[in-house]
Amino acid sequence: MNAFMKNFLRNKGAVAGLILLSIVVIVAVIAPFIYPQSPWTMVQRPFQPPMALDGFYFGTDVLGRDIGAGLAHGARVSLIVGLVSTLVALLIGLPIGALAGYFGGIWDDILMRFTEFFQTIPSFALAIVIVAILQPSLSGIVLAISIVSWPPVARLVRGEFLSLRSREYVQAAILSGLSPMNIIFRQILPNAISPIIVLASLMVASAILLESALSFLGLGDPNVMSWGYMIGAGRTVLRQAWWICVFPGLAILFTVLALNLIGEGLNDALNPRLARKGR
Amino acid sequence: MKKALLSGLIGAAMVATAAMAEPKSGGRINVVVQPEPPGLMLGLIQNGPTQNVAGNIYESLLRYDKDLNPQPSLAKEWTVSDDGLTYTFKLHSGVKWHDGEDFSADDVVFSADVFLRETHARFRVGLEHVESITAPDAETVVFQLKNPFGPFLGMFEAGTMPIVPKHIYEGTSFKDNPANATPIGTGPFKFEEWKKGSYIHLVKNEDYYIDGLPYLDEIYWQVIPDAAARAVAFETGQIDVLPGGSVENFDVPRLAGMDNVCTTTEGWEFFAPHSFMWVNNREGWTAKPKFRQALMYAMNREFMKDVIWNGYAEVAHSPVSSKTRFYDTDVAKYEFDPEKAKALLDEVGYDGTPVRILPLPYGETWNRWAEAVKQNLDAVGVKTEIVATDVAGWNQKLSDWDFDLGFTYLYQYGDPALGVGRSYISSNIAKGSPWNNVSGYENAEVDQLFADAALKASAAERQELYTKAQAQIVEDVAAAWLLELSFPTIYRCDVKDLVTTAIGVNDGFKDAWLDR
Amino acid sequence: MQTLRYILMRLAKAAVILFAIVILNFCLIHAAPGDPAAVMAGEAGASDELFLQQLREKFGLDQPFHIQLWKYISGLLQLDMGYSYRQDAPVWDLIMDRLPATLLLTGAAFVLSIVLGVVAGVMAAVRVGKWADTAITVAALLLYATPLFWVALMAILLFSVQLGWFPSYGMESIGSELTGFRYWLDVAHHLVLPATTLGLFFTAIYARMTRASFLETAAEDFVKTARAKGLSEGRIARRHILRNAILPVVTLAGLQAGQIVGGAVLTETVFAWPGIGRLMFDALLQRDYNVLLGVFLISSAMVLLFNLITDLIYLLVDPRIELNT
Repeated sequence: MNAFMKNFLRNKGAVAGLILLSIVVIVAVIAPFIYPQSPWTMVQRPFQPPMALDGFYFGTDVLGRDIGAGLAHGARVSLIVGLVSTLVALLIGLPIGALAGYFGGIWDDILMRFTEFFQTIPSFALAIVIVAILQPSLSGIVLAISIVSWPPVARLVRGEFLSLRSREYVQAAILSGLSPMNIIFRQILPNAISPIIVLASLMVASAILLESALSFLGLGDPNVMSWGYMIGAGRTVLRQAWWICVFPGLAILFTVLALNLIGEGLNDALNPRLARKGR
Repeated sequence: MKKALLSGLIGAAMVATAAMAEPKSGGRINVVVQPEPPGLMLGLIQNGPTQNVAGNIYESLLRYDKDLNPQPSLAKEWTVSDDGLTYTFKLHSGVKWHDGEDFSADDVVFSADVFLRETHARFRVGLEHVESITAPDAETVVFQLKNPFGPFLGMFEAGTMPIVPKHIYEGTSFKDNPANATPIGTGPFKFEEWKKGSYIHLVKNEDYYIDGLPYLDEIYWQVIPDAAARAVAFETGQIDVLPGGSVENFDVPRLAGMDNVCTTTEGWEFFAPHSFMWVNNREGWTAKPKFRQALMYAMNREFMKDVIWNGYAEVAHSPVSSKTRFYDTDVAKYEFDPEKAKALLDEVGYDGTPVRILPLPYGETWNRWAEAVKQNLDAVGVKTEIVATDVAGWNQKLSDWDFDLGFTYLYQYGDPALGVGRSYISSNIAKGSPWNNVSGYENAEVDQLFADAALKASAAERQELYTKAQAQIVEDVAAAWLLELSFPTIYRCDVKDLVTTAIGVNDGFKDAWLDR
Repeated sequence: MQTLRYILMRLAKAAVILFAIVILNFCLIHAAPGDPAAVMAGEAGASDELFLQQLREKFGLDQPFHIQLWKYISGLLQLDMGYSYRQDAPVWDLIMDRLPATLLLTGAAFVLSIVLGVVAGVMAAVRVGKWADTAITVAALLLYATPLFWVALMAILLFSVQLGWFPSYGMESIGSELTGFRYWLDVAHHLVLPATTLGLFFTAIYARMTRASFLETAAEDFVKTARAKGLSEGRIARRHILRNAILPVVTLAGLQAGQIVGGAVLTETVFAWPGIGRLMFDALLQRDYNVLLGVFLISSAMVLLFNLITDLIYLLVDPRIELNT
């Protein structure tokens, strides 16, 4: 663990990413304290540019809502969308990949055809259709993102399981009569976890991007203030009021950037052999 | 009884004097059409974009000036009998269909009696008052009514009663006729090409029966799906005309402020778009009249007008638009008064059950509007939840009565009997359509008032009945009226005489010309 | 012979997958609230029971679900993708009308991103650790993290509105009646902005992947051997490293080529590009079932096709790979 930390902290990009992400997380946590009012409340005149009014550092939007409040509360929503949809995707992808990789044979064939099947349908188009069916709501959006992003998890996990299954310690565990569940969760999974963590960090990032793209097409949930929703709402007034759209855009940019940097850092730290080659 | 002999020649002279300069012929014009219409056969499809484009291909017997007075179109003159039962139209001679066939009174009879009776839901309502439609000779059509019907002369507009070619449609399955893809009308412009997803190209009808018209050589209706992209296209000079509603309201002042750009809110008088929320009168808290009154007091509609509609609207006080005939100027008004709203909520004992708001999925303006309503209601303590949908979902929820407050806007068609009564009379309560009495408002007295008023021929008598009906409906808050909308048309100032009638650009290119 | 058998096996598998996709999509889209008749009624501003009933009868929506499904599938087996309720035209014609525009857009973006991405990746790799490497890596990271539609909006503001260099929307100057070379020049002019914005995102991915793959290959033994033989660095980079480093890039390219439809929805919306992605999105909102199913079918078929092509390219690049069905 120590070597891991050392490796990780040696990577400047990863540290920068960690700092950026920490800021976002802190803002998300303390949002209710710095902006106690709902971000939907119309608190000032509309279209006030940043810094024009005391306490409104980011300006106000078309209805006179505080962009700052939207950014802070939006951080919570965007992070939650990213995290929850990644978790759900892992919940779908992990068992499928694990079963396919562990049992092999006909199981592998069936499960991998199933995965391939989902990879064949254009993912963004599928996400749009699912949101249209469920109608735009936070849970619908999270589900749509999860459904289109689990196949890579399944493929990765399967690959790991395939190679780990032939290891001696696994073979020994099988011979000693441990149950398959026990072997999968106790023996193999802990050893396959590092590439999964790396993939997960990148998935959080792309989930946030995907949510913003859905919002942009008008498929966002109008009851929760997310960054994507702010951009979708602000883009029609981009010419008069750049700040409505630019700040949430930057927030997405930095968060996704941070997650990518951390993902790379994790990758390098967890696979030190590759890392040295990579730089 | 109304005695009317209206000469078309007077109207034509009025239109002519409106044009200051001598019109020039020639030129091409680029217009936005949004969204891409599902088809251009106006007899089958009457949604906004179809009317925009096809209103220049098809014609009806009349047009209407901005005060809703009838003007000649295919009919050059018309008379109404003293008893208000016989309407006789004299048609222009020498009119040809775009395919070269002769147009005659038979086409009119076929369109009204056969074609539109089958295909046109709104026109069917008017047909109920019609006893017979006949063509005594090739240039005369007579509509014989069963009973006097006050607004009847308002039904001869291209979107309500488009005249379609009998020689193409008679004996065929109207909806499956392959000719629907290449519409044939009598109008000033002919269909040339439709590149799906890109543009619709209309060209001048060289054989148009009015000499010299139209002035323009061709019109390109361009499809640009994104509102911001439409604004940019206008800014960069690729588009000459933005019909009302094709850019977001927030963009209007900026575009209007550009050099050589004119705007007008005229050309919507016939439609008088009236926005309101259906309020579910059947169940939940919204079933209580006092609760509904509280909603009205809670809403800051001046703010909605100024901020969300950029001032391009008026607060709506009544089910009848102030631009429509028989609006009662003395109708009771619900001013913004949160305290009164709270008091009313206390009085009915509101328990905090959330109220579901269904926004209209027509773009960002409408989303902001729903958010503003939500904030207003939250402020007086009414819990709300916005239910987002697309057009199909919105339609289904309203049709199945699965809503508490549902945004919509409706056209008034110049007369309460055509555009208002349908939303409030109890015989019009039925699942399956978002365009009937969706609120489920039932009041026998109101039913009777609307029924009587439609059949009176005297304007004074009708006014009296409609005034009573408005007072009752407003008292009951059968629906939550929001704003009388204006959809400004934005165009280059060198496009002249674009909006000359009460339906604006829908038939505007007949007279339009370019001063270039 | 073995290759042919392999291809046939893959095609048979693809047919099964396509069949499953058709059924799944059919169920999905019918589960969405409302139907095409309701949408058309919703837009018409007036409707009654008769109006809706007429539409549903015409569209065949009054029949039980399984009959509709059966009709659709038996139509497909006769290579008939059905009729668009809304646009009153055969789905096949509609798709073929729009497909060239999308292929042009995504094809241009694809070529741009591969060329630019591989060049940038190699440049970064051979200058590893220097400022050029850092600059390219940072630029790639930033591009990768920026929402695509956002870049598109900014590009329009800068290049169309401010500078006036490129048109902001559409595929051609409408009504210009240009022909031949001048027509294609006009289309190319319209293509610049959308293709670049769409391509930039993938450029970032290719650049990062090429760089990583190049560095990894450069450390392999056979490169050391080549160097020991005294070959020039440029020759080693081109002939030895790049050739082997390109494999993962080919895989990714296959994936990207397959996803051309979905990925173009945003770009086509912002730039009013009359392509198939926009057709799909409109069909979804309008519940134009047959069109939506048709687009899904065609695009899924393309994914499968490109997967197959990718695998065959692999075979050419590296004959050691087994044919594993």
